[in-house]
Amino acid sequence: MTNKCTVLVVEDDTGIGNYIQTILTANGYNVLRAQGGTEAEMLITSHCPDLVILDLGLPDMDGIEIIRSVRSWSRMPIIVVSARTHEKDKVLALDLGADDYLVKPFGSAEMLARVRTALRHAASGVDVPPTGSFTTGELMVDYDKRHVYIAGEDAKLTQNEYKIVALLSRYAGRVLTYDYILKSIWGPNLSGDNQILRVNMANIRRKIEQNPADPQYIFTETGVGYRMAE
Amino acid sequence: MPKNKFKRVLRNSCVTLGILAAATLLCALLRSFDSGSDYVSMIFILGVFLVARFTDGYLYGIVSSIAGVLLVNFVFTYPYFEFDFTLAGYPLTILCMLSVSLATSATMTQAKQSERIRIEAEREKTRSNLLRAVSHDLRTPLTSILGATSAVIENDDRLTSQQRIELLTGAQEDAQWLIRMVENLLAVTRIDGRGTAQIAKTCEAAEEIVANTVAKFKKRFPEVRFVARAPQELLIVPMDAVLIQQVLANLLENAVVHGGSTTRVEISLRREGNKAVFEVQDDGNGIDPDRLPHIFDGSLSSDTEGKAGDHKRNMGIGLSVCSTIIRAHGGELHARNLEGRGAAFSFTLKLAEEQT
Repeated sequence: MTNKCTVLVVEDDTGIGNYIQTILTANGYNVLRAQGGTEAEMLITSHCPDLVILDLGLPDMDGIEIIRSVRSWSRMPIIVVSARTHEKDKVLALDLGADDYLVKPFGSAEMLARVRTALRHAASGVDVPPTGSFTTGELMVDYDKRHVYIAGEDAKLTQNEYKIVALLSRYAGRVLTYDYILKSIWGPNLSGDNQILRVNMANIRRKIEQNPADPQYIFTETGVGYRMAE
Repeated sequence: MPKNKFKRVLRNSCVTLGILAAATLLCALLRSFDSGSDYVSMIFILGVFLVARFTDGYLYGIVSSIAGVLLVNFVFTYPYFEFDFTLAGYPLTILCMLSVSLATSATMTQAKQSERIRIEAEREKTRSNLLRAVSHDLRTPLTSILGATSAVIENDDRLTSQQRIELLTGAQEDAQWLIRMVENLLAVTRIDGRGTAQIAKTCEAAEEIVANTVAKFKKRFPEVRFVARAPQELLIVPMDAVLIQQVLANLLENAVVHGGSTTRVEISLRREGNKAVFEVQDDGNGIDPDRLPHIFDGSLSSDTEGKAGDHKRNMGIGLSVCSTIIRAHGGELHARNLEGRGAAFSFTLKLAEEQT
């Protein structure tokens, strides 16, 4: 990477902010810092960073509002940082268009992986329907034939099961919320129950995973959604 | 919350009316056997007593005292179905009944209040005990973090890179221990004050909860083999997922850290009737038979004092948190030693209704 990516870190706690900045700088990113929401919004409009790491608990405004306002004009990747027990905030942030989330306390490797994934997805653009195939480990999703193969064998997924796996594979490495998956597969009129998705996922796991209780390809983010291995 | 207040008033009024109606009916019934009236005021005083017992505050007791006196006069005293306060000696009777029932209701209400104060005080005591034990537990790792980091900062030029890494690794381990401790405390506060039936439960796939915890532990203890097993059938269990993951994490940590020489941990999930059974088995040294009956009591202080500085000290709190969480879910938690080697911890949770 000759042209350094710029990351805006919005974090009111100086210690955590310093830590994030040090790791990002050491790994070749340009870092901008903001301590509050107003400052963040200013920096976002003036500098147009390549990625924003956003703490949801800011002193002067709700981080959710920043996601809302950025998403009204830009697709720039946003990674939210939240406390472990606030599942609702995470889901709301993701449904409003945040790309991923980190739960405090997080390690540096985890953060860098999330940053790389988000930047790559932003660069590749995901609006075009995928063609060709996607491979991770022994799993291969063939978008043209609409089949999923595991170690070369057809996994014999049903239509909906294929759609779920294909959707997750298009966003591999990123968490997709239950709501997003449900709406993409079954349309917007489904009632708010994600049982149907759970059952489908259990069936998919029994077809593609060696041990459904210890999956290698599709991971659960409890209370939030699913994430496919990259 | 005006709606809540309205509800309470409604409930109290219903209780009051119901008890008064029951007393009246009972008197009317007795009257068909015996035309005397000595028992009437007794029954109404009992009614007032019950009203005071089952309603909040003084008001309902006082209202029912007065209503009782009026009812006795109106229905059960000659001339029937007419108020008449002029009978010889009657004002005295009324006065007596009124004062007895007022006194009864006042005493009852007061007794209820002092009971509430006692429970509150008890809870406060438990809380401050826990707080003391926890702060004691927190101080040791914090001291070591402070020591290690200041050693690095103040001796930057005199430390070899290996020494620096050693100090920082120690600080990191202590910080991780602190985080786990705090997560246990957060889990307890999530239940505290919400009572048994009121945990926010959502339907979760039990195998996903197991898979998540196992994945975390594989990363944390790469030298230990973790094996997860789930049945072919998908088990859906209503639970607070954050709390149940905390239970599984505590049990796995217990298996690895306290099992002694644990090399393999198996986490299995199975169905028994309308319950899901989660079990964690290890091949470590097992549980001391003397400790087995009290293992979930969270004997914090005795555990803490003997082995200060020992990182195993938090298991008292870890297992007692498990027990609190499982109890709050209406499930059961058991521990036993396996034949040969190792220990097994298991807990049950009710399956979702459509699965039973």
